[in-house]
Amino acid sequence: MSKIWIVAENTAWLAVLAAYAKSLQPDGEITAFVHGDEAAARQGIALGATAAFALPLPADALWESYTPLLAEKARAEQPALILLSAAKRCRDMAAQLGALLDAPCFSDVKNLSLTPDGVSGETLVYGGAGVAQATTRAATVLATVAAKACDPALADASRSGTVATLAPAPGAAQVTARLPREARSVNLDGAAKVVGVGRGLSEQKDLAGIEALAKAIGAEMACSRPIAEFFKWMPEERYIGISGQQIKPQLYLAVGISGQAQHYYGVRDAKIIVSVNKDAEALMNLNADYYIVGDWKEVAPSLIQAFGAV
Amino acid sequence: MKKIAVCYKWVLSDADIRINERTRELDMEKCKPQINEYDRMGLETGVRLKEASGCELVALTCGAATEASAKDALSRGPDAVYCLDDPVMAVADATATSKVLAAMIRSISDVDVVICSEGSSDQYAQQVGPRLAALLGFTSVSYVSKAEVQGDALLLERKLEQGTECVKVIGPVVVSIVPDICEAPIPSVKQILAAKKKPSIKLGLADIGLSADSVAPLLHVAGVKAPLSERKAVRLNPDGVSISEAATALARQLAADGIL
Ligand SMILES: Cc1cc2nc3c(=O)[nH]c(=O)nc-3n(C[C@H](O)[C@H](O)[C@H](O)COP(=O)(O)OP(=O)(O)OC[C@H]3O[C@@H](n4cnc5c(N)ncnc54)[C@H](O)[C@@H]3O)c2cc1C
Repeated sequence: MSKIWIVAENTAWLAVLAAYAKSLQPDGEITAFVHGDEAAARQGIALGATAAFALPLPADALWESYTPLLAEKARAEQPALILLSAAKRCRDMAAQLGALLDAPCFSDVKNLSLTPDGVSGETLVYGGAGVAQATTRAATVLATVAAKACDPALADASRSGTVATLAPAPGAAQVTARLPREARSVNLDGAAKVVGVGRGLSEQKDLAGIEALAKAIGAEMACSRPIAEFFKWMPEERYIGISGQQIKPQLYLAVGISGQAQHYYGVRDAKIIVSVNKDAEALMNLNADYYIVGDWKEVAPSLIQAFGAV
Repeated sequence: MKKIAVCYKWVLSDADIRINERTRELDMEKCKPQINEYDRMGLETGVRLKEASGCELVALTCGAATEASAKDALSRGPDAVYCLDDPVMAVADATATSKVLAAMIRSISDVDVVICSEGSSDQYAQQVGPRLAALLGFTSVSYVSKAEVQGDALLLERKLEQGTECVKVIGPVVVSIVPDICEAPIPSVKQILAAKKKPSIKLGLADIGLSADSVAPLLHVAGVKAPLSERKAVRLNPDGVSISEAATALARQLAADGIL
């Protein structure tokens, strides 16, 4: 029976990673590492780990500075698999740990499985346009796992195991400040209808016309990555895609979005996709259920009127 | 700061991928190679840090048939470019790429700041920057959305799920940037002409002391398939149908589908 390590960004993710580890190997021995305090680590035991370590955020060092310590432990314990949260700090740690252990990493893995011949799994390529099927025979294999990869494991406080808090190695990077992000005001996840806008809009005040459209059908607003990150017209929680939100609404209405694979990946599971784009050949049109070719400035008012009439 | 090295990947553009409907395989025939989109912001970040610090700036890449990238890379500001060009790198994974880049950086003297981007448009594994740092024994600072020079130090801002983390680093560092760090300007004619006079150094694995075996990928890709899409792609305003008629048709359709 091989050992599985789980390294989590928070306790919610810990429960997902614990369930994921158990699904791969129901009786495997799990060691948990969690960003947080000893109470968070104890949660790891309740979720089924036999040993759990707290990796509290150091006051003035990077959280990733625990990596050399974890590499040392991994060399001693030889886990077959190390599952980490697909969150930024854990991704960085996964990569550094992989380098120190000469171990490969399946990023945002799907369908991971342990076989007598090694580990196999799927990763996305070309922004989700393709799915690569890969295998490895490496002694230790890493994978980053999405927060929604499976249902979380159930905690059972009566379970027992060892709990400890680790101290990071000193590094050359000094954290001088941490500025929390503004409170999230969005829940795209639960929205039945979502209207997404892209660079087909030419200025921020164009948003008003699309907001009116979203309002007419009770939809949440979303956007492509450049609209949030580059133009900053909308908060980053609202951008859709492989590096943003992945949603499954009943309706996704894309306005002025070209539909590159990286964006499309975030809405591919929507029930109905509608695209409005002035370029008939835009990928968003070709991968939609219905599309209208035209300038959104003309199409949006017509849609508001038509939606109001049904 | 002595020398900045920006790593870039020479990737096939994904805009022209065709899907073979029968086999679900990706047909890359029409796809042209280009400097990975986010690495262009990495190159521009290098240029800005060079201007602020007065140090040298080089670019490096590794892969198969990468020599063709040299002119484009040079026109974006570096003083020289190193292209490791070897057919075995066609199947490189992040483990192989980071080992090769690490060996290249060791072979170029004085590099103390390495810039990578968050990820490449093909694999997007988000691995190479931090791996490179661990292999070189440099500090890894990833997801960086702002970088400034302050004397000997770099002041960096990381964009994390929880918010912004401000980091001060003195000494060797690998900075992995996110694309919103800056815009990547399109090279001017003057820059393109100047690029022709700058050195471009082609390397093979042997030049950096590596064998093909030592950079064999650890992840073996058995195949790549496009996921099935079953969308109908119905154009609601074909010739002769006005936009308002199309809008009405859509509203009716969505009502019939139980969405509105
Ligand atoms: C590694 C990587 C990760 C990425 N991750 C993401 C991600 O998570 N999410 C994401 O969205 N992108 C992501 N991208 C970027 C992605 O590849 C595209 O560049 C981006 O999605 C394009 O945004 P857009 O559709 O808004 O803009 P564009 O591609 O510029 O498209 C604008 C569209 O608007 C249309 N248009 C213009 N004017 C009008 C008009 N008046 N009326 C109607 N239509 C009009 C045009 O025909 C065009 O199709 C990623 C890229 C990389 C390399």
